[in-house]
Amino acid sequence: MRKVLLVARFAWREAVARRLVVAILLLTLVFVGFYLYGTNALLHSFQRRASALGRELPGQSLLFANATLVLMGMYIANFLGSLMAIFTTIAAVSGEVDSGTIQSVLPKPIRRWEFVLGKWLGHLSLVLPYMVLLSLALMYGAQAITGYLPPQPWNAVALMLLSATFLLTLTLLGSTLLSTLTTGVVLFMLYSLGWAGGIVGSVGALTGSLTLKRIGEISSYIIPSDMLWRGASVYLQPEALRQIQNVARGNPFVGTEPLATGYVLWVGVYSVLVLLLALWVFRQRDF
Amino acid sequence: MPTPIPAIQTQHLRKVFRGRPAVEDLSLEVAQGEVFGFLGPNGAGKSTTVKMLLGLTHPTSGRAQILGQPLDSLGIKRQMGFLPELFRFHDWMTGREFLRFHGQLYGMESADLERRIPEVLGLVGLLGREQERIKGYSKGMQQRIGLAQAILNRPRLVFLDEPTSALDPIGRREVREIIGHLKEQGTTVFLNSHLLSEVELTCDRVAIVNRGRVVKSGTLEALLNPKLEADLRVDKVIPALQSALSAIARITEQNGERLTLELPAEDALPAVAEAVIRAGGKLYALTPRRESLEDLFVTLVEKGAS
Repeated sequence: MRKVLLVARFAWREAVARRLVVAILLLTLVFVGFYLYGTNALLHSFQRRASALGRELPGQSLLFANATLVLMGMYIANFLGSLMAIFTTIAAVSGEVDSGTIQSVLPKPIRRWEFVLGKWLGHLSLVLPYMVLLSLALMYGAQAITGYLPPQPWNAVALMLLSATFLLTLTLLGSTLLSTLTTGVVLFMLYSLGWAGGIVGSVGALTGSLTLKRIGEISSYIIPSDMLWRGASVYLQPEALRQIQNVARGNPFVGTEPLATGYVLWVGVYSVLVLLLALWVFRQRDF
Repeated sequence: MPTPIPAIQTQHLRKVFRGRPAVEDLSLEVAQGEVFGFLGPNGAGKSTTVKMLLGLTHPTSGRAQILGQPLDSLGIKRQMGFLPELFRFHDWMTGREFLRFHGQLYGMESADLERRIPEVLGLVGLLGREQERIKGYSKGMQQRIGLAQAILNRPRLVFLDEPTSALDPIGRREVREIIGHLKEQGTTVFLNSHLLSEVELTCDRVAIVNRGRVVKSGTLEALLNPKLEADLRVDKVIPALQSALSAIARITEQNGERLTLELPAEDALPAVAEAVIRAGGKLYALTPRRESLEDLFVTLVEKGAS
């Protein structure tokens, strides 16, 4: 376990030394800044219009506006977290193989699985806290301005973290098997496929097409990231908004029903299987 | 005397990459404390063999042991060091961070590392440069820090794959001195090198591989022809000189005033000089030469190729 933690710490130090951490933090600060500025501007525009008409603030519309804004912000946070999970991990193992640094590491008294697990842990400990911080900054920042907080923010964040963990683990598997470039392309395509599958499923729900719904369902079992976001979005909508979405049906960006426990468990088991496969694949390789 | 455990022992080691054998059938034994030269033309399977011994590549068949233990034993890996041929390291680290990281990979304690890092930096001539990033190092310095990494854990067995490929003549001499130093401490050194003159200077024993098999192995004295040859240059070759020389040596080649002689022993050299003077000739040059490792290498590899 000592060696696993050593490799995990090493991944962190590399991210810091390569200025990855600084770059991400700075850009995130810009993003959160813009977002909160926009939230503030919206509130003021509501207040101005209300006072110009000599009325009270319209409670329902304001709630919907604020909730939608948080929902959009979290959608982007989830997207950024997914990208981070993929792009910080594509070179985790393949980079060491491509550059040849692996040749001075593996002859050391370290098991190959310890190396891969260390990389997994290191990158996970980079991405997950980032997502938590970003989500908290968005949701609680908006609350400080508007007073609105989604009904169950922590449940939503938990599902987003599960999604990022899955994507990161799948990327790691790619990285133990393929070159960095190929891993990046494959992962991005798979991620997009999950996304497209979700949209196809929504269209199926809207038009009542069973085939399309089925395609969406199958894709959600293979690449669960989109489905997990829909599940997360349920916890970010006030009851009233959710009912409207439910009637409208088929919004391709948000869900209206909580995920089944079985599905969430499946994603957990699936992630563990992918991780085990990555450890096994790396064990078999020649360098 | 009990037979000590060999540092390296392989039996019929074989590696096939996609149907093409890189190492055909390799059996060799390296004794502890030896400086062992592993020679062969490009593509002979030298690097693949080293990678198998280090656990980087899985053998297709055959067996190998290091210090009597299987290759995947962590205990053995703790006692081994390796300088890869393509020495590429994590160049965003400083030299010192790099050594600390590798020391921790070896499982060395922090206090021990603090003592050992300046020692190895001194040995490879990088003391004072350890706070700089490896990215800024010259190729030679990178090879030196790689060597420091390979001997950091006071290994019992070190694999050096072309350890002087990026070094200037002074650097090469320093590496020879480090190898000598390791030998004094009883470390076994497995040296992969193209530089035959260097192997001749440093190795106790060599194995020459070609097409994935050992074609010859043994001590340098045993491998190289003990017969002494000498080049002789005089002002002119007259029959009296020729007959006088024939009495002492065999003339194997004559090219004008230049002769190549094969002598029974080294003490025949002064007699050759004397014979030239007695025959009234003028001696311009008399140079003894032994068969070099290069001659042997070329002969063996060319024989294998035909």
